[in-house]
Amino acid sequence: MMENAELDKIRKLLLEQDYITEDTIAMAVFLALKLEKPLLVEGPAGVGKTEIAKVIAKALDSELIRLQCYEGLDSTHALYEWNYQRQLLYLKMQENESKSIKDKEKDIFSARFLLERPVLKAITSKKKSVLLIDEIDRADEEFESFLLEVLSDWQVTIPEIGTISAVHRPYVILTGNRTRELSEALRRRCLYLWIDYPDFEKELAIVNAKVPGIDAKLGKQICLFMQELRKLKLEKTPGISETIDWAKTLSILHLSHLDKEVVERTLGVVLKDWQDMRKTTDALSELLDKTGVVSRIG
Amino acid sequence: MHQPSLIAYRTALSANMLYFCRFLRNKGFNLGPSEEADALNAISLVPIGEEKFFRQSLKTVLAKNNYQFNAFNDLYTEFWDQYAKAVNSKLKEDQPEKNTLSDAQKKEAQFNALKDWLNLSPSTEEISLHSYSAIEVLTKKNFQDLSDDEMLLMMSLLKRLARKIAHQKSRLKKRTKKRRIVDIKRTIRDNMRYGGEMQRLVYSKRKDRRLKLVLLCDVSKSMDLYSRFFVHLIYAFQNAYDKIETFVFSTALHKVSEMLNNHEFEKAFDTISERVPHWSGGTTIGSCLLDFNLNYGHSHLDKKTIVFILSDGWDTGDPLTMKAAMKFIYKKSRKVIWLNPLAGNPEFSPDAMGMKTALPYIDTLVSAHNLDSLKQAIHASVKRRDIMKNQFYS
Repeated sequence: MMENAELDKIRKLLLEQDYITEDTIAMAVFLALKLEKPLLVEGPAGVGKTEIAKVIAKALDSELIRLQCYEGLDSTHALYEWNYQRQLLYLKMQENESKSIKDKEKDIFSARFLLERPVLKAITSKKKSVLLIDEIDRADEEFESFLLEVLSDWQVTIPEIGTISAVHRPYVILTGNRTRELSEALRRRCLYLWIDYPDFEKELAIVNAKVPGIDAKLGKQICLFMQELRKLKLEKTPGISETIDWAKTLSILHLSHLDKEVVERTLGVVLKDWQDMRKTTDALSELLDKTGVVSRIG
Repeated sequence: MHQPSLIAYRTALSANMLYFCRFLRNKGFNLGPSEEADALNAISLVPIGEEKFFRQSLKTVLAKNNYQFNAFNDLYTEFWDQYAKAVNSKLKEDQPEKNTLSDAQKKEAQFNALKDWLNLSPSTEEISLHSYSAIEVLTKKNFQDLSDDEMLLMMSLLKRLARKIAHQKSRLKKRTKKRRIVDIKRTIRDNMRYGGEMQRLVYSKRKDRRLKLVLLCDVSKSMDLYSRFFVHLIYAFQNAYDKIETFVFSTALHKVSEMLNNHEFEKAFDTISERVPHWSGGTTIGSCLLDFNLNYGHSHLDKKTIVFILSDGWDTGDPLTMKAAMKFIYKKSRKVIWLNPLAGNPEFSPDAMGMKTALPYIDTLVSAHNLDSLKQAIHASVKRRDIMKNQFYS
């Protein structure tokens, strides 16, 4: 079937970029691309939310335009800004030329004095681009409403120039950590995807894909350990990115299996909170038992 | 019995989709015509005949938050099961009487069965709940008397309330932004390097006064009925304040800010009660507050911090400890607001030993037994100390 082939293609494309997917993720990406709707991805930290956008951009061979949200982000940082200094310098250079004021004005409010910020860049891009709006929940609510406007009309009005409509609608991926509840209106404009921590098989597949040279036994042990570690109710539960970092570290050290000493020494790669460190070190023997590592006595 | 496949019943797919959407709407999904259109578009894109894809695509389009995302599969199964049942039963009823039913009649029977089921489902109650008078009643109703459904509605009211304050606050911010003025001194100095040509303007702006919030929440046995609600309150507050630190206490103090920040709030409560020992145990408010002062007081309290204490004031510890602890908090913070669910009772007087001791060091004592009183508390938090002082007990 035609459609089925397309869905498979997406999965394959994602796989080619070393992004191991579940059916739900592939489906969400597929629909977002097909329906041309923004995709809102939520989930705990470090499970590969941002990665989705990067991978899509790579797979479609289009430009990834990233807008990192933060508190106080406003439209001048998201949309456009006039290059004020350059305009002034230009005017100064033109001082002795006999141009009419009208011409001068036309000159300085032209595209070359316009600093394109991510959203405008995505709209005016000559090719379909991927616009990643990262950690949208960190931005203020005003910014959210501003974004709504752009996401529904795909056009931007600049008073001095006029309205710029999207040449190609970008694919939009929004990510969030649920640090703040997003407005209903924004949610309604988007497709929704929730990514959780991976299960053992998926995590192992990811480790093998991302750290190709890793010892098979070590990879398995790392993933088992991480699965157990996440059950510990830590302050900052480690995500997939930590698993990959750890796997890379241990791989560089040319280790073939885990033992207590190794774990103790390299735990800083996985855990970023001292209380978590302490808690884990306390429970280490038990954790390793569960992982199936025979801890050396003495 | 042979169970006819669901797909066989999907005779009029789009109509059934609309029923499904309606079903979800009754379950609290926020769906409009545009979502319905999306759903129809989506299923036209995915391979037909494979039920898994059908479900997944609908999930992606129709679920809008984590809660809905996780509940979707169950709701989906429920709908199509009921659907199959409704259609089957109707068919069975009809068959012995008239086997000669025309196709059109049969279809109508299916349709009616489905309609009955859709309309008779618990939705009737839910609909009445959403009327305005219900909201009116709810704002006055004691949290103790809330049913689960009402609790849900209460949550949404509370969320809206918090959002409102968040907006109020952001308006304030804007005003200061407009007041951005050119710092002439520094502008001239900075532009010296361009030969005195004004090229770069330097602005000065009034420094943002950011309010911080410290929440101390009593989770002892006597507060059990309310503490679940307070967790929601805390979550709602996150919209309105820049920085919130949350502690829970009963016989010991625990910092739970991270747990609340990293988890969605349905889960947060369970996580906290799981991880905090003595949840729903006895109370020693004084020593817990003292513990707070010693370990966090200096880093968490300053003149920009509003302290909310949520407790009924039943202290089993030493009143002197309580007094010292409260005095410290009062002095170091911008404002202390005590939320006491018991204060809603008209016969209430702050008799509990702990409450009595703490009273001189509280800016506002608010009852926290219903939504109206919470509103009051939230508004109190926005006002300044000197105006508020002793308003409640003047």
